[in-house]
Amino acid sequence: MSATDFQRLVDRQYAPLYRFALSLSKSEADAADLTQQTFFLWASKGDQLRDRSKAKSWLFTTLYREFLGRRRHEVRFPKIELDDVREEEMSILPNVNAFDSATVLQALREVEEPFRAPLTLFYLEQFSYQKIADMLEVPIGTVMSRLSRGKALLRQRLFSKEKLLGNKVVAFQSDKRVESNG
Amino acid sequence: MDNREAKFVLNAYRPGGQDANDPRFAEALEQVRRDPVLERWFVDSITFDTAMTEKLRAIEVPPDLRENILAGAKVSRPLRWSKPFVKWAIAAALISMAILGSFIWHNTRPAYLAGWQDQALEVISTLVRNETSFDAQSRNAGELLAWLRANHAPAAQELSDNLGKLPSLGCKRFSWNGIPVSVICFMRPDGGLIHLVTTNAVPPSSRSLKTAPEFVRQDGWAIATWREGDTTYMLALEGSRDQLRTYLL
Repeated sequence: MSATDFQRLVDRQYAPLYRFALSLSKSEADAADLTQQTFFLWASKGDQLRDRSKAKSWLFTTLYREFLGRRRHEVRFPKIELDDVREEEMSILPNVNAFDSATVLQALREVEEPFRAPLTLFYLEQFSYQKIADMLEVPIGTVMSRLSRGKALLRQRLFSKEKLLGNKVVAFQSDKRVESNG
Repeated sequence: MDNREAKFVLNAYRPGGQDANDPRFAEALEQVRRDPVLERWFVDSITFDTAMTEKLRAIEVPPDLRENILAGAKVSRPLRWSKPFVKWAIAAALISMAILGSFIWHNTRPAYLAGWQDQALEVISTLVRNETSFDAQSRNAGELLAWLRANHAPAAQELSDNLGKLPSLGCKRFSWNGIPVSVICFMRPDGGLIHLVTTNAVPPSSRSLKTAPEFVRQDGWAIATWREGDTTYMLALEGSRDQLRTYLL
């Protein structure tokens, strides 16, 4: 890959990669370091990738692996079944537009890691469940389960922040929430 | 499938509508059409997801990150070309292969997308992902065509019968190498989208085009391109060539 092509790849992908890293790592410095490390790996190993149309997937997968590799302690991913997702958690939706990006990111970071990675890939780049499954190397059913549970957890975190904001936030198209805030 | 299971599946449905043709969502989407309560939840859920995408994409990136990556990558690349003889021998071999490859390619090249079409797909993708907005919105494509003409933008002379029956979402103008191009997005009955791209100039790469549509498949897209006089058209959808053919009639 020429220097110009590499620069184009960096220009297209460094911002979404950094945002993905930021959702995982909980520190701006760590996120920047993870992003840089991912591109450095591309610079030294990217030539091995024959299908250049998969460069974006390669970068996100590599960043996630780097993140996992850096974690000192092993996290056991909890097994989540459909029954664990309560109906009410999937029915009421907070008003995301009432928050700034930093608060939304904070809520996302408070979601447990196994759910956070698929959730961020889904939102940030709108990757399909199939692509997320390939990137995270988990079955499709697990991705759907983590997206469903992850969204429920994210909504809980946003509701907590709504309560902190008090009356500044109006519930999102839900009469039930309007009453409870009123 | 009950509503609870449908919600579980639809939580993986992307808000840009890219999954409209995915059979894994078919049953849940059918349930949405049948049940107004589920439909209300689905609309709210899509709105929530769209807002989340917008918020996350608005997160600021450190201003020096790009430069640090580019500077660091230079020293991360493996050292090569250390011996001048090896360097020139490989260069000569590559030039020979390029000449041979170019000869073979010109004689056997498959259908491909021109630069303006790649850019059109890029613009369409940003519209679908809500990264950019339409210049004008209407469910009536006739109004959008009139708006484009009034704003001196490329506009189709007429729409095919089946395309003309579809409700439109909006239109957008852009330019490729100074050539004005416009796109109108339509909603298909199956929930997916279809896009008509028009340019009144003929891009150099499309001068060999004929009035009969040429089909190309790329990254899940089915694309037809054709010319009528000085106007070049491109019709694209995420799906099969057969689905696309329907809207050329």
